[in-house]
Amino acid sequence: MPTKTSKKNKAAGKIKIFCDLRKCTGCKSCEIACAVEHSFSKDLVKALRESVPPTKRVRIRDSFGRAVRISCQHCEEAPCVAACMSGAMYKDPKTGATKHDKDKCVGCWMCIMVCPFGAIVRSIEDKQALKCDLCPDRDDYACVIACPTGALFAGTPEEFKRKAEKKL
Amino acid sequence: MNYVIIGGSAAGVMACEAIRKRDEKAKITLVSDEKLPLYSRCLLTYLLAGQITEDKLTFRDPDFYKKNKIDAILGVRAKSIDVKKRAVKLSNGKSILYDKLLLATGANPKSIDIPGVDKEGFFTIRRIDDARGMIKLMDKVKRVVVLGGGLIGLRDAYALMHQGKKVSVIAKSSQVLSQMLDKEAADIIRDTLVANGIEVKTQAAAKEITGGKTVEGVLLDDGTKVDCQMVIVGKGVIADIALAKGSGIKTHWGFLVDEYMATNVKGIFAAGDCAETRDLASGEMTINGLWPCAVEQGGIAGANMTGEKIAYEGSLSMNSVEFFGLPAISMGITKPKTDDYETLVFENRNKNLYRKIVLKDNLICGAVFINGVESAGVINVLMRKRIDISGIKERLVDNNFSFATVMPLIKDNSDSFTAEEFLDTIKTYQ
Repeated sequence: MPTKTSKKNKAAGKIKIFCDLRKCTGCKSCEIACAVEHSFSKDLVKALRESVPPTKRVRIRDSFGRAVRISCQHCEEAPCVAACMSGAMYKDPKTGATKHDKDKCVGCWMCIMVCPFGAIVRSIEDKQALKCDLCPDRDDYACVIACPTGALFAGTPEEFKRKAEKKL
Repeated sequence: MNYVIIGGSAAGVMACEAIRKRDEKAKITLVSDEKLPLYSRCLLTYLLAGQITEDKLTFRDPDFYKKNKIDAILGVRAKSIDVKKRAVKLSNGKSILYDKLLLATGANPKSIDIPGVDKEGFFTIRRIDDARGMIKLMDKVKRVVVLGGGLIGLRDAYALMHQGKKVSVIAKSSQVLSQMLDKEAADIIRDTLVANGIEVKTQAAAKEITGGKTVEGVLLDDGTKVDCQMVIVGKGVIADIALAKGSGIKTHWGFLVDEYMATNVKGIFAAGDCAETRDLASGEMTINGLWPCAVEQGGIAGANMTGEKIAYEGSLSMNSVEFFGLPAISMGITKPKTDDYETLVFENRNKNLYRKIVLKDNLICGAVFINGVESAGVINVLMRKRIDISGIKERLVDNNFSFATVMPLIKDNSDSFTAEEFLDTIKTYQ
């Protein structure tokens, strides 16, 4: 079952989104949910008609017949933060999330140059780096809720470790 | 412990952070010859273009020094080091003592030695005062000549184009961005610049800057004269190593450091644009004067100054730019000089797509991306960690290349490869 995460948990921090690749079928429900969440209307049908199409921050790509989710891992030692020359990429001291300040970003793509996951995309219209922002407008996570197989999981690294080590 | 940091840009500030994180009681003094604190000089061309305002230049909160209890001496230059007394002499006549010293003095812009460089309207751009000076003159300027077809020169040109000026770029080399890109990629960039109205002249140099008190034109070595009211030199930088004089610190192009960012003089470290480190792609000692390198080096130097022993992997030449919506990223060796390198190329000129990977013994040594830059970081980490790519070689320049393509390699090299937070995910890749 998909795991719902309460707002309280989210604020307490350390929550990240993980993907159990054994369960991922590559259906791309997370991609759609992410794009809708980052649209103006936050509604699938209306989002399709928006003048600037919403950009998803998670991608599912084929890896030799298996699906792999590509998205910001909110690295503790984040190369994108180290490379950012404007101070737009930064670590949230409380939650450990890697955050992006739209007002400071100049679109130099230094972050893209160093992200080992290739998880940052360019917003061409407004020259902004876009990546997983852990859904600041909602209590849970759009992709996790949308995942029909339970591959996506929001929790602490320790919780995911136990899941990953468990046999299916 | 008494720490002194010379230089207030990326390396200096990162070192302050690293020291403070490890030692709450340390006395930290930072000396910078610039009055404006905590600004990112890489953003100056964005300021020049009018894309951002001065308040957006800072890369740390304005109260950073206060919050971290750092005594920042601004607008003062370090003049010399007395190694025996462990003292740094300052331009304000004072002298400060150190137990550990970091040289993060950065670099100065290269200028040119031709008649007329003393005229009003002639600039190099490195410091906030340079940018302010140019902005002040902006209304009087219709046409600008940029001398230098490198990254700095082109960024200056792009910025002034944004301000509605007519811009001519004069480059000595046969291509633009000769340090950063191979000819093919550089030509795509050049075509884009020209198509958007920037004049680019290669294999040309300025002989004289003409005019009275102010700049009125540039005379080129082929005899042509270009009328202009502003001349900018964007020809790269030279490490500021003046402090080495009389100190016994070994220098070459920059301060020479070991893998712990320490110089040969006990207690003195160096980091950033003034430090010469080992280049990961070529294996040679060089200066990769880049923001990300300065950040990393400053952080490591700071940690090691407190007694830790963190080894620096080495620096990597890399850069990222975008002109008129066309992004370009390059890293490592882009123009191999010997034939023991292998190159893989994917090109689609209609879409301005270009991707090149340079290999040696199945290890990535360099890469160029024009458009489709999103996976550049994946290549970067393969190169940095020296991962054998023989299993996925033919896919490296594939249009569908992504992080997913390298998952099998990541699994095989998971100990050395990736962020710890991803290790459990790798376990589920079966």
